[in-house]
Amino acid sequence: MTEGFLKEQQTLESDLNSDTSHKRSVDTLMDWFRRRSIFVLAYGTGCGAIEMPPTFTSRYDAERLGIRGAATPRQADVIIVSGYCSYKTLRRIIRSYEQMSNPKYILALGSCTVNGGMYWDSYNTIKKLEDYLPVDMYVNGCMPRPESILEGFIALQKDIANGKASSWEKYEKNYEFYRKNQEAVLGKQVSPAYETDWYLYEGGL
Amino acid sequence: MRIINALLALISLIILVSFWQDNFSLYVDLALLDLHGVVIGIQTSALANLFALLIGFSWLMVSLASFASKQSSHPALFRWLPILSFALFLMVYTVDYLLFFIGWEIMSIVTYFILAPTLTPQALIKYVLFAMASALALLMGIVILYSGAETLLYMDANQGFMLLSLEMKIVVTLLMLFAFFIKLGAIGLHYWVVDSYQQADTLFSAYLSAILSKMGLYGVIIFLTQAVDIYSFDATLLTYSIALIGVISSIIATFKAIREDDLKRLLAYSSIAQLGYIVTVLALANGMGGALYHAIIHTLIKLLLFINIASIIALTKRSKVSELGGLIYRTPHSFVMLLIAIIALAGMPPLGGFASKYLIYTSLLDAKMLLILSAVMFASVSGFLYIYKLIYGIYLGHPTHKSLESLQEVSKWYLLPQYIIALLLIIIGTFPALIIPMINSVLRQLYLTSIPYETITTLESPLGAYNGSVIMGAFGAIFVVVLFFLWRVKSKTKEAKDRFDIAYCGEEPTTTTPLHYGYGMTKELQRVSFIATIWHSSSGTFYNALTEILYAFSNRIRKLYTGNLAINFNWIILFAVLLLWWGTQ
Amino acid sequence: MVGDTMILFELLLILLTAYSVGFIYYGLYRNITARFQRRFGPPITQSFYDSIKFFSKEESTSHGWMFYLGPIIAMSGAIMTLFFIPIFSNSTAFQGLSEYGNLFVVLYLMVLGPLGNALGVGVSGNPFGVMGVTRGLSRLFALELPFYIALIALMSINQTADIATIASNQQETINAIAYPLLFIPALFAFIGMMGQSPFDVVGAPVEVYSGPASEFSGKFLALLMSQSAIFSFAKLVLMVHLFLGGASGFIELLLKTFILFLFVIAFGSLYGRFKTPQSIDFLLKVPTAIAIVGLILATYN
Repeated sequence: MTEGFLKEQQTLESDLNSDTSHKRSVDTLMDWFRRRSIFVLAYGTGCGAIEMPPTFTSRYDAERLGIRGAATPRQADVIIVSGYCSYKTLRRIIRSYEQMSNPKYILALGSCTVNGGMYWDSYNTIKKLEDYLPVDMYVNGCMPRPESILEGFIALQKDIANGKASSWEKYEKNYEFYRKNQEAVLGKQVSPAYETDWYLYEGGL
Repeated sequence: MRIINALLALISLIILVSFWQDNFSLYVDLALLDLHGVVIGIQTSALANLFALLIGFSWLMVSLASFASKQSSHPALFRWLPILSFALFLMVYTVDYLLFFIGWEIMSIVTYFILAPTLTPQALIKYVLFAMASALALLMGIVILYSGAETLLYMDANQGFMLLSLEMKIVVTLLMLFAFFIKLGAIGLHYWVVDSYQQADTLFSAYLSAILSKMGLYGVIIFLTQAVDIYSFDATLLTYSIALIGVISSIIATFKAIREDDLKRLLAYSSIAQLGYIVTVLALANGMGGALYHAIIHTLIKLLLFINIASIIALTKRSKVSELGGLIYRTPHSFVMLLIAIIALAGMPPLGGFASKYLIYTSLLDAKMLLILSAVMFASVSGFLYIYKLIYGIYLGHPTHKSLESLQEVSKWYLLPQYIIALLLIIIGTFPALIIPMINSVLRQLYLTSIPYETITTLESPLGAYNGSVIMGAFGAIFVVVLFFLWRVKSKTKEAKDRFDIAYCGEEPTTTTPLHYGYGMTKELQRVSFIATIWHSSSGTFYNALTEILYAFSNRIRKLYTGNLAINFNWIILFAVLLLWWGTQ
Repeated sequence: MVGDTMILFELLLILLTAYSVGFIYYGLYRNITARFQRRFGPPITQSFYDSIKFFSKEESTSHGWMFYLGPIIAMSGAIMTLFFIPIFSNSTAFQGLSEYGNLFVVLYLMVLGPLGNALGVGVSGNPFGVMGVTRGLSRLFALELPFYIALIALMSINQTADIATIASNQQETINAIAYPLLFIPALFAFIGMMGQSPFDVVGAPVEVYSGPASEFSGKFLALLMSQSAIFSFAKLVLMVHLFLGGASGFIELLLKTFILFLFVIAFGSLYGRFKTPQSIDFLLKVPTAIAIVGLILATYN
């Protein structure tokens, strides 16, 4: 029995089942397996990470959906950007993202990834994650509760099944665009550096 | 000089192989020198042929590797190596203890000449003291044996041994075993081994480890089987003592090897451990076959290992694990050779190392020495740690120094003996019973039961058999199938961008980040009390304490001789009178 | 010729069985652990999904030809171990290649897989991987001592090194009940070999960055996971033959392996993780002492 905001959510998600005729049959088969086995990189990037342990453990049990944690980017499919991204964290997220194997997905939690959220006027965070990394699924909230994160995962699984979750292809095709944006805030060296970054390179403020 | 050395090695090996089946004997009665009844002689036999084959092969391989570079070995090595090898040939072909002792002494002295230019004085003194101690003990043992039946021949030595009193039997056994165990490097008497192997020319360390240590083995075999005739009576105490010495050598040397940073010291301890396996089964009636098999395999493996290390040291001028690393794609042939060597050293089935371990284990099981068998298997498994440290420290991981990033493959002269030995190891692994007929002829000569032998692919033992070619064939087939599957699966292979493209918790390591795990690889094991005890103990403590006691004692005696000439003269006369009185008793 | 094809067909069937049963057991492991933790787990066939997903990754990062060959050697070692263990003890079918080898061969083949893994992770240069490999090798010699003592006692009692003979000599009582002081140390070692707590520090996911599996992605990781499943099945069958009386039918084999597996996971769910020196210290003291006492009691009579 759905009512209230749950009914709204249903109507919002109802058009996720769009047509899948553009896919080949082997892709359909592969996507059927890919949606059932999702490895999430164990990397809590921001304060949204506090909601990840309850999601993956006994209370809200994401493992019944086939979702489990992965230790290294090499083993992971999904990286959860859980909240704000300071420039320092953004370097590590980009390095981890580029070390993951295709197909890979980004799940962005919280309002900070949409428009800066609570830190909209901070000098050290990015305001719109979509400019720097391609996002597959946003889960709004500040921060979203485990039930929301689970719904986000289910929506991501539906996207994978339909073949719509192809942000990694978007990253490869538009790499110059993303790289330009990354260098604008991080300087020429996008990978992690061990000095205080933001006032040594161009950009920052 | 190197060319002459190599040619002599080749000629000796060719002569040996072509005259393999022929019997040759020459006996000389020393009555000509007024020594009545003393007969010395040289005779070919299966045991002598086997050891001579090992000697000739080691000599040839070391000589081949010596052509790689002129500077990496001291010229003394090639001047003395032919003389050393001929002394060893004399030692194995003789059938009397006099010529054996002459060969033993020439071996010790010539080894000194080769070691002297490259060893530090402390290490050299250690070698000289232990070599002299072994020679003296050997001489004393031979003299006591002679006093039994007035003969020096091996075949009559048992008569002499039986005529001795029980105390003399024990004394002569202890003396002879002491002498041979020093050469073998049994724990407690190994004080000279590690430093000598580390500081000698690496090619000579190969020769030392591959064949000079086997001369102690040869001496023990001759003494135990012919003088003591150990298989004819119930020698449980002696068998167990020798087995215990062997197994303790293996365990302690394995754990000491795990700690080592220097490559040659690691291999020196590994030699002590492997020889410990041989010593463990030596005194068992069923064990001699396994001991001989392991002797052959160990010679091959140590030659391969030391020549490989020699090539790396000559290439990089570094000999420590903490200063090497990441050489795999610069010297891929060397890497594959070392990989084959360590698979054989660990005793894993596809290659030849497993066959010898299998024979050792089944003979211990058959003799019901179960706890000793557990200890030997424990030492063998613990060896995987230093084996992995060896290959990871040199070839895998990251280069620890900029100079290691721009190297070429090692010289072909180093690779040629390695190819030959690796091929032999693969062949012996696939056909483990190939050398059984050779071992069986030795066992027949020693009046022991032969190892059952039907086909060259199956190695038989009292508790079961295994087929080496099936293992190798199955491994090869499965490998090819899985490789094909991995190649055809959908996922493509993408090469990592550079050596820093590793999953490093989101960080990016730089050139100054220490990434090579070689040096500290097993340091955490010192928190285990058993291993910490082994690491912190040293036989040097005992020898230094012994030295202190001797100094104190001789200090006391020195005070007898005061500066007064008359008192000195009195002491000397008293001493001479005492000696004369004792002589007349 | 017909015999050869029969053997090949049998080997293929053994391999597929090991693969499927291993993966289903791994799914059951996740389910049962989940029930211990008051939650539901993934579907039982989850491991198949994981494996096929990894095989279908667009690309897998490699660090040269040794990295490519490392998981292949690991898989070959696991399959070789499987083939040299007879699946059924009292029959002539499904003996694999066990007539060409014996228990010593199997014990040494068990080390070939981890060696391939160690070489692959070593050449990648990931220091966390090598850290995991060192822990694995240290844990290995501590695990094997009580295990070898128990197995040597069994070989001495049965006067053979052949696994099928040891299994079929347990007609009256199974070895676990006849020689409990040998079974208990072997069980301790077995818990470590299956990678369960308290001896599972080797592949600790976050603490040592998943140890020996840290640098593998895509198809290499899938091969390692498949290798792990096949290897676990082989080890379970070995323990069943040595201590639980062997099995003459498939249902009996599944039942016995599942009971053993259930005990191992239950044990693992309850206990925390020992550090490497702690586990070595423990294994070299308590199970070894029990095993030595068991050996003496069993053989000196």
